[in-house]
Amino acid sequence: MMESQKSNVVILGIETSCDETSAAVLLNGRDLRSHVISSQITTHQKYGGVVPEIASREHSLHFQPVVQQALNEAKLTFRDLSAIAVTYGPGLVGSLLVGVSGAKAMAYAAGVPLIGINHLEAHIYANFLEHQDLKFPLLALLVSGGHTHLILFEAHGQYTVLGHTRDDAAGEALDKVARTLGLGYPGGPQIQRIAQEGDAQAFNFPRAMLEPGSLDFSFSGMKSAVLNTLNSARMRGETLSVPDIAASFQQAVVDVLVRKALLAIKETRVKTLLLAGGVAANRLLRETLDHKLAEKGVCLVYPSPIFCTDNGAMIATAGYYHYLKGDFAPWTLNAVPGLGLV
Amino acid sequence: MKYLTIDTTTKVTAVALGEDRRLVGEGFLNTTKTHSERIIPMLDQLLTAADWTLQELDMIGVVRGPGSFTGIRIGIATAQGLAQVLKLPLIAVVSLDALAWAGKGRVEDIVPILDARKNEWYTARYNWTRGAEKADCLTPPQAMPIGKWLEYLKGLDRSICFVGDAVEKAKGRIEEVLGERAVILPEYISLPRGAYAVSAVWQRWQETGEGEQVEPYYIRFSEAEVNWAKKEEARRSEGHE
Repeated sequence: MMESQKSNVVILGIETSCDETSAAVLLNGRDLRSHVISSQITTHQKYGGVVPEIASREHSLHFQPVVQQALNEAKLTFRDLSAIAVTYGPGLVGSLLVGVSGAKAMAYAAGVPLIGINHLEAHIYANFLEHQDLKFPLLALLVSGGHTHLILFEAHGQYTVLGHTRDDAAGEALDKVARTLGLGYPGGPQIQRIAQEGDAQAFNFPRAMLEPGSLDFSFSGMKSAVLNTLNSARMRGETLSVPDIAASFQQAVVDVLVRKALLAIKETRVKTLLLAGGVAANRLLRETLDHKLAEKGVCLVYPSPIFCTDNGAMIATAGYYHYLKGDFAPWTLNAVPGLGLV
Repeated sequence: MKYLTIDTTTKVTAVALGEDRRLVGEGFLNTTKTHSERIIPMLDQLLTAADWTLQELDMIGVVRGPGSFTGIRIGIATAQGLAQVLKLPLIAVVSLDALAWAGKGRVEDIVPILDARKNEWYTARYNWTRGAEKADCLTPPQAMPIGKWLEYLKGLDRSICFVGDAVEKAKGRIEEVLGERAVILPEYISLPRGAYAVSAVWQRWQETGEGEQVEPYYIRFSEAEVNWAKKEEARRSEGHE
C-alpha cells in the first residue's frame, strides 16, 4: 500500500510501561491510523493499585495481539513501517521489558530502525498529535501518578526541568487519598467524580508553596493533612462528608499546580502551556488553567483524555520526531525504570 | 527445516540454530549483562557466523519456563516478535524438559534443578530408556522445597544425575543427603544450553507438526495473588464461624 508513497513516515508506537498494553500506527506524525489500548485496571483493582508482577504477566499475554490488532486496523503490515518506537523508561521494569524485547525483535526481523522513547517525553508529545501549529518555546506541566514536572521545552528533544515534586507526585497523592476514602483505584477519576457532589471550601488543606520563587512541588503535607483530618474525626466518632473531603483536596492540588504554572509563565514569558500526563485529564485543572491563562493572553493546550493516559499514540508521535532526526536505538537497548527527562 | 531457539529462563542467555535434528550453531553467555542487552546482538552474530539469514528460517523455538519470571517473558516476547514478523510457526518447550537432554544416554534418573528462591527449586524427574527419542518424565515439573525434594529422592533408592543452574550452589547438600547415589555433572554440561533447546524443540515439532499459541509457564502464582487468596480464605472461614 505504501509503495507508491515512499516519502510517508509510518511509525508503530508501543507502550507497556505500567498497566496499559498499547500500540498505535501513525502516518507522518499526524494521521493516527489505529490505536489499541488494552487496560489492566480491572485486574489490579482488587489489590488497590498496580501489582508489578501481575502487570508484567498481563503484558506478556496481551502484547502480541495488541500489536497485531493495531496493524490490522491500519490495514498495514510490518513491511510498511518506517520504524518501531517503544517506551524504554521510566516505568515498571518487568512491564517495560516485555515491550522493549518484543519491539526489538520485531524491528530486527522487519529490518527497520528501533526508536527508544522516554515515557515522560511522550506524554508531552501527545499534544503534537492534535495541535499541528505549536511554536517553540513551550512550557509543559506534566502531572501523572509518578511525576509532577514543570518543563521548559525549547526545541524538539531539548528540555529544561524548571521544577519537580520533592515528595509525592500529584497523581500519587490523589491515589492515596482516594484509597483512604475507600474510592478505589485509579484515584484521580474517582476523586473528580465524587468531588462534583462536594463543597470545595469545606476544608482548608495546606497548599505548600515552598520557598519564594521555587517552581518545585510538595504534596505529602497536603496528603497528610487529609489523613489527619479523617483520623481525628474518627477518634471523635464523627463522620465527615467524603464528597467534601474529595472536593477540598482536589481544589488544593489544583491550586498548587495552577499557581506554580503561573509563576513559571511569569518567569519564562512563554506564551503556550502544554498540559500532559494522566492528571491533565482532570476537568477542574483544565478549566482553572484555561480561565487564568486567558486573562494573561497565554494559550493552554492539552490532549484529548484518551491521549492523557498511557497510550501508544503518544509513543508513535514522539517516535516520529526522533525518526526525522535519525535518532535510533541500538539492539542493546535496555529498560531503564528510573529514566529521567534530561 | 531451519530454526532458531531462545532460552532466557536462567541467568544464561542461550540461543542456537538448528537444522532438523542437528545443532548448527549456538551462543552461550553467562555474564552479568542482561538478556535484554544481549539477545538480539547474539542472534545477529550467530546468524552472520553461520551465514544464515532470518528469511531462511522455517520455525522459531522458545523455552517458556519455569525459571526467572522476567527471563521467561523476555524470551517469549523476543520469539513472538520474530515469529510474528517473519510469519513463522512458534514452538515452546519446558525448561526442565530441555535440561533432561543434558543427561541423554545416562542410566541414572535425570533431575534438573532450577533456582526458584525461597529455598525452593523448580524441578522434575526424567529417565532415558536406551534408544528412546525422548526422556520419560517420572515426576512432573513443580516448585519444591529443597529439603523435602531431596528426602523424596533419597527414598526412591535410585542413582540420580543433577543438572541445572542450582547445582553449583547445592552440590554439598545434595551429596550429604544422597551420598554416592548423586551424580553431579560439570557446570558447562549442567547449565541451560542452546543444544538442549534445539533437541527439545525438534522433538516437540515432531510431535505437533505445527506452531502453537505460546504462554509463559511460571508454575508459581505471583505473591500478590497468593496473599490475596490467603486473605479471601481467612475471610470466608471467619464468615462460617
